[in-house]
Amino acid sequence: MKFYKKTSYAEDFRLFRDGAAAFWYALLALALVTAPFVLPTYYLSQLVLIGIYVVAGAGLMLLSGFCGQISLGHSAFFAVGAFTVAVLEKNGIPFPLAFLAAGILSAAVGFVVGLPALRLAGMYLAIATLAAAFIVTEVIVRWESVTNGSSGLNVAKLSILGFVADSEKKLYAVVAVVALAAMLAVRNIVRSPLGLAMMAIRDSETAAQSMGVPLMRVKLTAFAVSALLTGLAGALYAHKIQFIDPDQFTILVSIEFLVMIFIGGIGSMHGVVFGAAFVIALPQLVAVAKDYLPQTIAQQSGLQAAVYAIVLLAFILAEPTGLYGIWRRIKTYFSMFPFYRKGSQRRVKSFAKSETW
Amino acid sequence: MSLLEIADVGISFGGLRAVDGVSVSVEEREIFAIIGPNGAGKTTLFNLISRIYEPTTGRIVFAGRDITQIPPHEVVRAGIARTFQNINLFDNATVLDNLMLGRYRHCRSGLLRQTLFTPFVRREKLADRRKVEEVIDFLELGKYRDVLVAGLPYGVRKIVELGRALAAEPRLLLLDEPSSGLNVEETNDMVFWIQDLRDDLDMTIVMIEHDMSLVSAVSDRVLAMSSGRMLALGAAAEVQRDPGVAAAYLGGP
Repeated sequence: MKFYKKTSYAEDFRLFRDGAAAFWYALLALALVTAPFVLPTYYLSQLVLIGIYVVAGAGLMLLSGFCGQISLGHSAFFAVGAFTVAVLEKNGIPFPLAFLAAGILSAAVGFVVGLPALRLAGMYLAIATLAAAFIVTEVIVRWESVTNGSSGLNVAKLSILGFVADSEKKLYAVVAVVALAAMLAVRNIVRSPLGLAMMAIRDSETAAQSMGVPLMRVKLTAFAVSALLTGLAGALYAHKIQFIDPDQFTILVSIEFLVMIFIGGIGSMHGVVFGAAFVIALPQLVAVAKDYLPQTIAQQSGLQAAVYAIVLLAFILAEPTGLYGIWRRIKTYFSMFPFYRKGSQRRVKSFAKSETW
Repeated sequence: MSLLEIADVGISFGGLRAVDGVSVSVEEREIFAIIGPNGAGKTTLFNLISRIYEPTTGRIVFAGRDITQIPPHEVVRAGIARTFQNINLFDNATVLDNLMLGRYRHCRSGLLRQTLFTPFVRREKLADRRKVEEVIDFLELGKYRDVLVAGLPYGVRKIVELGRALAAEPRLLLLDEPSSGLNVEETNDMVFWIQDLRDDLDMTIVMIEHDMSLVSAVSDRVLAMSSGRMLALGAAAEVQRDPGVAAAYLGGP
């Protein structure tokens, strides 16, 4: 059995709970550093994709997981980031500047998309953001002089001040640094007063407002930061795929992002990583499973989407805290050993209540 | 000059005059109770003061500043904190986080500093935490500090909500039915706390309350309302004797 004895207030908001936690994270960091030297290129390439999804997921987690604003428009920010970096680099602007511009432009689009959130909530907000995503995609398709329309754009290899990411290893290094920075940034916001204000908005707007939280400002900040990170992820994605066209940024991408944070565990930073790994690994698992399925099912084109739907439903019904919830239960089992009982981790059921004054 | 001056304030919802021409001044360090039957407009008056509703007529002046036009989130910055009749807490957060949000109005750091979690943010958070711990000590919430609000009994949630308002360090505290749903023991605690807040922390308190024993025990003045209008204003005993008040509760001749 393990006990935590706190001796200062600062312990409540430090990054690692204790020495043991710091040790495990150090080990994880070591594994990530050695990964490019031991893993075959295929797996490394999957890790790069996971890293890119972690960046976007950290953004969406802040908005949906912590601030409670659902968004089906994140494919738009992903697209804006990807196309900004591609177009700017085609015009000779170096990657670091183009990368920054991609983030800022996405944040600006996020700000605009966030405006309806001041009046809409839940399903209505989801539909409004979905509409915004369609508008953005349509603009990219039609604005052929800049984006090359449906024919798409080739993206050069990522290069930072002479460092050219011409191998998967080098790209991995860049993505790993950005993913780590994104996670840290969101974690910092979450443990700051602003993050608390976002959580307050999620649980009760009336109460948040009466305690001095400016709803408009905080919601728009959440949208902008979320879009910024997703835009940066899009910029990295463009360099990973090296060819982008509007068809890659459909509503399915938004859904993939949402599935990622829901299955990972809504409202947890661990969940972002678990969810990203899951979303990247699932298509491979589906491909493997195809060999064992009857022909009539395996040949269906919507198989992957159907699997997403089933897995998402299963999680929402059986384990709303997601993969992170499962992970935490396993951890608690060991840290409480041998005193763990079935009820130890039972969720407190609270139902959404309508706002009353 | 009075701390809170409400002058001829009124609001209509469609044809209904929910609050109609209420004028009242609350002095600094006063405990002021509002009573009245259901639908008298008591909570609506609170919502007008905390700017959730837009008054149709009248002015509300707090500490010499006209707050009739300020945005709702500025009200607590001006120095007015409130609780809600049906408890409006952040259910998926711990008691500590709920109280920490009470400190939000004192937050000085912006997005950039918070994203980098600079030493400034750290110091600010520690200072807030020390203030919150004072509130936790005062309200004896220590054993609930790290518990999620959603799982707490009603009486404790009520006290957490009071704590959140106190964490904001307001000059004026608006309590909407502080004793509703509390047992006798908890109500007694509430009486002590309300008196301590005035006597030790110099707070001014306006409360909506139905429990006349609590009202008589703590309040300096009582306002009785009915159908949005003022019925009687004065010491608790006077208001209770007022024939109009009895008629409002029991139905007049």
